[in-house]
Amino acid sequence: MKSTNKNFIERLQRQEEDALEFIVDTYLPLIKGVTYKVLSPLRNDGVMEECINDIFLSIWNNSIKFHGDTTDFRKWICAIAKFKAIDYYRKAMKKMELTSGYTEVDPEKSAEDELIILEDRKELLQLIDLLEPVDRDIFIMKYFLGLKNEDISIKLGLTKASIDNRIYRGKKKLSQKATNLKLGGSVV
Amino acid sequence: MKDIYELLNDIDIDETEFKEIEVSELEKAKVKRTLKKSISKKKKMKRWQKNVLAASIIFGLSTATIGLSFTASAKSIPLIGDIFSYFSNENSGLSDDIKNNGKGLYSDYKAYSNEIGLTEESNGLTFTINDAIYDGKTVTITYTIESEEDLGDGSFFIPSPNIKEMKAQGGSDGISKVADKKYVGLLTVSNLEDLKVDKVNIDWDINSISITDTDKEIKGNWDFAFSLKATESNEKVINKSVNQHGVKVSVEKLSISPMSFVVDYHQEVSDSVKNKWDEAYVELSIRDDLGNVYAGQGNGGSGIDSYNLNFSKTFQKIDPNATKLIATPHVTLRNFTSENHGEATITEDGEEKVSSFPTKPSSAPKELVLDDIVIDLKK
Repeated sequence: MKSTNKNFIERLQRQEEDALEFIVDTYLPLIKGVTYKVLSPLRNDGVMEECINDIFLSIWNNSIKFHGDTTDFRKWICAIAKFKAIDYYRKAMKKMELTSGYTEVDPEKSAEDELIILEDRKELLQLIDLLEPVDRDIFIMKYFLGLKNEDISIKLGLTKASIDNRIYRGKKKLSQKATNLKLGGSVV
Repeated sequence: MKDIYELLNDIDIDETEFKEIEVSELEKAKVKRTLKKSISKKKKMKRWQKNVLAASIIFGLSTATIGLSFTASAKSIPLIGDIFSYFSNENSGLSDDIKNNGKGLYSDYKAYSNEIGLTEESNGLTFTINDAIYDGKTVTITYTIESEEDLGDGSFFIPSPNIKEMKAQGGSDGISKVADKKYVGLLTVSNLEDLKVDKVNIDWDINSISITDTDKEIKGNWDFAFSLKATESNEKVINKSVNQHGVKVSVEKLSISPMSFVVDYHQEVSDSVKNKWDEAYVELSIRDDLGNVYAGQGNGGSGIDSYNLNFSKTFQKIDPNATKLIATPHVTLRNFTSENHGEATITEDGEEKVSSFPTKPSSAPKELVLDDIVIDLKK
């Protein structure tokens, strides 16, 4: 039996190899698009290739965590692709800074970006999990998917001021919790 | 705690933001090739687990022999001195979290095993039985295959040995290519019934070896007969259970031998779970109070239906300083589909009846972790 548009999610979750082929055939152009958009400034095809492989592998390994239909699946893998690509971008930028020998700090990089890099992702997720659902979504959009506060406000139908506010309060809450969890000084 | 992949489910992302980029067939093929390489190891492990599950459901408990295979890829070509230790870790098909300290399930087997050293040559293929051991529950045999022609990467089907003392058998078979035209294997046959015999007679008459990758069959005669005495073992009755989420898991018995220990456990499922799921399957992971995690392999099991089953699982040698064992039941609830399930009943005359199951609406399997069952070893 082969994977089709109707059954591929189920087959993917059952770890049938043909489902992996199916998603590569169907979604590679899309995944490439997402990755390209984030990683093209690096001008490094090797990193892009590696990232694309990593995205598909993560989809394969985590397919069981997906819930929904084909439309949701498309959104889900876009989100994974974006989150992975941003991850690769951040790592690559960090490496570039190290190799170039400059001590100059990228003015664009916020403290939050640094936090994501510094913090072990698992611990960060553990913290984010403590937030209310709305705040959790905001944090994931901002720090994992790299969305701007304006875009988040449009998406969630909230004002930009309230997004700014929620992020401010959320960060405060996280830093408190982090202290309680004895995660050390990186979360301040 | 939800992980990022679960959390991303809930994020409504604006798709129009993303533009597709044209991809050539060559690029697709390249991605697929790389992916297959990275998943092959994991995937094989999963298939093996699934097979053990299939073996565990034998209805009606008539004479049945099931041979399974878990194939491991040989990354390097080691010098095979001790096949047990070769299959102990990297090649055991065990998941990473139960591999520990470079030791594995079979680490201590060599010292207690009987060297068999029987060799048969037929049709250009030399089959050698190297070692064998019987712990009162499971017979474990290591063997070597050397061939004049290349037989691929080692996916063989070899008929199982006949052990007349064991009426109902379950087991596993792992084969790995270690050098050009040279393969090593480790086979286990477990007694599914709780019937203890001190000595088993093994008749292993192999008249064909199939290469499953290419559907090729090599006919020949490789006949072996030998007997094994059980290693000393010390039995403890435990009878402790945990009942959560409608699944009851009881650890019934512990048999400790010098190189391993066997846990007998039972699962029982409530009606509410039965109404929702076609099948429940319990795996046990075991650690001790000193922090050791024990590698283990299921021996299969049997029971009246797919919910009420008796299992046993063999774990590596117990740390002599441990005072407590902590067993954690991992429950998988699953629904059958016409693809992943069929039922075979084998009657006394060897007749096979195959039927399919009515299926519940399909959904992804659900995994639960129940509370620990603590076993006091000093009592």
